[in-house]
Amino acid sequence: MAEAAGPPAAATPLLSAATRERIRTACARYPAARSAALPALWAAQDQLGHVPPEAMAEVAAELGIGAAEVEAVATFYAMYFRRPPGRHFIQVCTNVSCALRGAEGLLRHLEERLGIPDGGTTLDGAFTLESTVECLGACGGAPALQVDRYSHEDCTPDRVDRLLERLRAEPGPTGAPR
Amino acid sequence: MSAAPSPPPELVTLTVDGRAVSVPAGTLVWDACEKAGVFVPVYCAHKKMDPVAVCRMCLIEVGTMPKLQPACATVVQAGMEVRTATDRVQRFRQGNMEFLLLNHPLDCPVCDRGGECDLQDFAQRYGPPRSRTAITGKVHFDKARPLSDRIMLDQERCILCWRCVRYCDEITGDRAIVLQERAVHTVVDTFEGRPLTGPFQGNLPEVCPVGALTHTAYRFRSRPWDLQRTPSVCPGCSYGCTVGIDSRDNAVVRFVSQDNPDVDDSWLCDRGRYGFPELNRQDRVLTAELSLEGPVRAVGALEAVGAAARALAGVLERHDPDQVACLGTPQMTNEEAFCLQWLGRDVIGTPHLDHQLEPWPDLAPDEFRLAIRELEDCDTVVVLGERPEAATPVLTLRLYKAERKRGRQVLRIAADADPTELAGRVRDRGRVGVVAHEADRDRARAVATALAAANGSVHRLTLTEGMNGRGCKDLGLLPGLGPGYRRLDRAGMHGRAILAAAAEGRLRALVVVGPNPEMEQDPAYEAAIARVPLVVALTPVRGLLSRHAQALLPGRTMAEKQGTVTSSEGRVQRIRVALQPRIGAPPPELRLLVELGRSLGGTWESAPLATPAFDVICDAVPAYRGTRGGLRAAWPGTGGAA
Amino acid sequence: MAAEELRILTRHLGAPGVTGLPGYEAVGGYRSLRRALGMTPEAITAEVKASGLRGRGGAAFPTATKWGFLPQDVFPRYLCVNADESEPGCFKDRVLLEELPHQLLEGTLIAAVALQASHAFLYVRGEYRAPRELLDRCVAEAYRAGYAGQGVAGSRFGCELVVHGGAGAYICGEETALLDSLEGLRGQPRLKPPFPAVRGLYGQPTVVNNVETLSNLPYIIEHGGAAYAALGTEASPGTRLFCVSGHVERPGTFEVPMGHTTFRDLIALAGGVRTGHVLKAMQPGGGSMQVLGPEHLDLALDFKAVADAGSSLGAGALVVMDETTCMVDVSMRLVDFYHHESCGKCVPCREGTYFESRLMHRLEAGLASADELLTLADICEHMEGRCFCPLGDTATWFVMSAYRRFADEFRAHCGAGCCPVRAAAEAAA
Ligand SMILES: Cc1cc2nc3c(=O)[nH]c(=O)nc-3n(C[C@H](O)[C@H](O)[C@H](O)COP(=O)(O)O)c2cc1C
Ligand code: SF4
Ligand code: FES
Repeated sequence: MAEAAGPPAAATPLLSAATRERIRTACARYPAARSAALPALWAAQDQLGHVPPEAMAEVAAELGIGAAEVEAVATFYAMYFRRPPGRHFIQVCTNVSCALRGAEGLLRHLEERLGIPDGGTTLDGAFTLESTVECLGACGGAPALQVDRYSHEDCTPDRVDRLLERLRAEPGPTGAPR
Repeated sequence: MSAAPSPPPELVTLTVDGRAVSVPAGTLVWDACEKAGVFVPVYCAHKKMDPVAVCRMCLIEVGTMPKLQPACATVVQAGMEVRTATDRVQRFRQGNMEFLLLNHPLDCPVCDRGGECDLQDFAQRYGPPRSRTAITGKVHFDKARPLSDRIMLDQERCILCWRCVRYCDEITGDRAIVLQERAVHTVVDTFEGRPLTGPFQGNLPEVCPVGALTHTAYRFRSRPWDLQRTPSVCPGCSYGCTVGIDSRDNAVVRFVSQDNPDVDDSWLCDRGRYGFPELNRQDRVLTAELSLEGPVRAVGALEAVGAAARALAGVLERHDPDQVACLGTPQMTNEEAFCLQWLGRDVIGTPHLDHQLEPWPDLAPDEFRLAIRELEDCDTVVVLGERPEAATPVLTLRLYKAERKRGRQVLRIAADADPTELAGRVRDRGRVGVVAHEADRDRARAVATALAAANGSVHRLTLTEGMNGRGCKDLGLLPGLGPGYRRLDRAGMHGRAILAAAAEGRLRALVVVGPNPEMEQDPAYEAAIARVPLVVALTPVRGLLSRHAQALLPGRTMAEKQGTVTSSEGRVQRIRVALQPRIGAPPPELRLLVELGRSLGGTWESAPLATPAFDVICDAVPAYRGTRGGLRAAWPGTGGAA
Repeated sequence: MAAEELRILTRHLGAPGVTGLPGYEAVGGYRSLRRALGMTPEAITAEVKASGLRGRGGAAFPTATKWGFLPQDVFPRYLCVNADESEPGCFKDRVLLEELPHQLLEGTLIAAVALQASHAFLYVRGEYRAPRELLDRCVAEAYRAGYAGQGVAGSRFGCELVVHGGAGAYICGEETALLDSLEGLRGQPRLKPPFPAVRGLYGQPTVVNNVETLSNLPYIIEHGGAAYAALGTEASPGTRLFCVSGHVERPGTFEVPMGHTTFRDLIALAGGVRTGHVLKAMQPGGGSMQVLGPEHLDLALDFKAVADAGSSLGAGALVVMDETTCMVDVSMRLVDFYHHESCGKCVPCREGTYFESRLMHRLEAGLASADELLTLADICEHMEGRCFCPLGDTATWFVMSAYRRFADEFRAHCGAGCCPVRAAAEAAA
């Protein structure tokens, strides 16, 4: 049966051999290969910094499912980026526990320091700032934020400033496997 | 195959709004309500798809359960008390309608579904009297974006009932349309919005309960109340899908599917559904034309019949009837096909008649034994090559249903595969179905024989070419086989031989009913008919045939006439007049054929109308008795009518 | 009586190297697993039954009873560890994942033995990247030491451990959504019945248990179910982790015996309401649950007592709010959370949370009319109990309970043009 036209096969695949290997290893760990959809998208994002459609199609081919099925999954989960964010992705938790302990102030502080509004990316592409209503599970250290998927708790303006200094010096997202 | 009679299902009695109703165990409350005559509104539920219970529209009260329950996903239980009209249910429906309309663009005035939209209907019936939200606060999505050259998607109108997504998953299996994003931003779309390519897209607007998926071919064409619907049969192939022909101003504007669970299961293929413009063709033969002596002149149809009869009689006086032949077409109705074989065989006295090019020397009764619906009951279905599904696309959906919903094995093999190796690939011993195109009959027979050695019961379904190719065969529009496959003493020439004889100048006259796309595409056709001194042609459209006829009689398209046609599986179904002939239009083709025969001295025992003609057919072919309700003809030794 | 922690689940917390296998074995780790391997599955389940252990994921369903729903003789069977902890105000599973990962793996393997599960999948929320990486390392250690894979600890029982990272979707904590997510689909709840115990992952019998639930198993097997049951009260046996956050001096996670401890004790453990302020409201159980007030301070942490007060212990959290808190603001944040996290599957939840969120933003900004407040209540009524899964219900619980309790505060926002609570606070400052 004919499918909705997939993308033309890219001349050079986006996913590296190492990423493909990661995906295949993941597939082998489940009773059914398609279970590896989430780990496979993580592998793609770890390599590329985001998951463009071509990568979804390549993931689909690895899992033996349709590209549309992968896109359905990729767009459901909040942590897969469709477009490349800044080098460092800063997420400020604004859910209740953090809000009670000054999350809004922290967010304002970051907006000022970075010179971008909530949701923006700095011109040099170093930072994307976003507030999130998703509780980061760090309420014990509220207010909390996450940089490249690693938590930072008890954030005071001073500590955040020092963090920004450090991050500016770091070449890539701290989330990527080293 | 007559499926083993399953034990009668256990009945469960429940009450719906106080009315007792008994339904088989396992029935959904929604269906039980329908049986009790109680209407329950639904959006996501669909008779052909598994329940998902996402729209919540069908929530009703059940017994003492504290929460409202989805009628579409709740299974009946004995003694269950279902209440669908309580204040709580009414209030909920009002609230749910408010939710559904919250982000809906309310663009009914320019929506193709206006008048046949469940959102409109239920808003009217159950909705809140006024809106509590500003129209400015809506979430916006893509409007009017082509999903292909056939289908438009309007994401704003979509109520996310998941039907299109489930259609692509459960019915076609191509999973081309999926849900994307989450929460209130959820939409349906293809991968990156890329075009759909499947052959069954036209069903999407029909499963969509609102105006989110629409036919490009029907955009801004009409409101449903301006349409007239005529139940009929799709002329696209021999599968026999039932359609509603929607017409307006004497033109067909669309085909809609009708659910016939035995055949189409409510689906149409795009080739059939979007083939309707053929019925609106402008290059029509509207009056009779004669060029028997001198230049072409337009005459009345019956006058032309008289002239044609005289010319034919003249040929028969001078020549042997053997030098005359009749060619029909699988597009003819049964009544016309039967009449043509009467005209040729009994009146003219020629053995040379056919409706197709290739020879059809014999009939094995089991070739047609398997019914389409029984495919689902076969443990394994073997499909020979790609021709069956290419000829009758909707078959693909039945095969997928057998595979996915019934867990059957569908084995697609090359048409020329070695039958002896096949037995090992059949998963379970048990009932096996063999599906083949008529061109591969011999191979199918070999496969069936090989499988029968290893498996108990093997039954075959043969797919014939053309809307009524099967009927033409059943009714004897074949050389050497009379109505009901009666073997005749005198064998005649088959289609290709007739053309060859004509090309060699061995035929003095030819009576042709068109159009016959198979023949007309054959390179030998034109040269052949051009060499015949007298061509009497009956066709609705201009083309090769009309150009070379000396007596040209105006025919009708299948939308303009009535009669019956027989599908590949032997089901005899009615076609009806969808486009009324104008006053003064020529008589139907059947009448012209009968009059032609009568003018040549033949006796046609009944009125020249479809219904009495069918009685004549039943007398000649007893298998056709009792098929009137759209049933399969009951051939001796093939398991009886079904 | 001074508030005191009772460390059972966290008894090894902080032990040297306990996040690694040698450190964990040094405090007696994996002895319970060995013992369990010597018991019949029925005997393990019987111990768990005796312990009275109830699920810590939120619904507090008796664990042994849940295990008992598996149909006999249908294999393979699967165990899923729910480490999707995303409930606002909850961070207790994270403590167990970060500090005592091997205890969780041991508990998981014990449950796998009891259930005869061939695979145990640990579904860790996407945001917990660091804990997940730690878990990956621990699983590798467990495989190397022979605690996982074929022939667990030298027995004939085999079980694969698979760590599965989520990717940012609260709904995947709901057990059937978790299963779909594990199968590589959009994490949306499934139609029930059939329940996962009958047809779960890949259509096979499946049990989903919370991290904390399973982390209790090593203790229960080591000391016996009766000893565990003796720790709490009859109706609420055992100890439980509570996450205290918000306006307290020292937010954190505390392990206390159930039934014997009160909300007051819990707040005391967290250093009390922040100095100079008084308690206005508290939300137990995580973002889903109904608000309680100062009059509930002496309520015991007992399933029934809290239910009778109109709320629930839910997933073991307590958010403390002092008098500076605007209840409309808090409600708005929670509503936004559910709006963001609705999976979009069913109409009342998808559209209702959007409607709610829009109204709450208008209300918080002081722009809503009194009529809109009625609309809000109306929407919530049309959502509660009508949605496909409990997410839609819970999206109404806090806001409606806050509205009932702080009706004046809600009304004061109507047409005020700003948040009156914040305005008052700013004026006072
Ligand atoms: C919307 C929703 C979110 C949930 N989130 C979680 C969660 O993050 N972690 C969890 O353990 N259980 C969560 N649950 C409860 C699970 O569905 C399930 O009951 C639980 O994991 C069972 O484990 P237990 O019996 O050990 O408590 C959630 C339920 C719902 C309805
Ligand atoms: S496009 Fe139509 S069929 Fe598809 S989900 Fe939307 S409303 Fe349903
Ligand atoms: S029809 Fe039952 S929930 Fe949609």
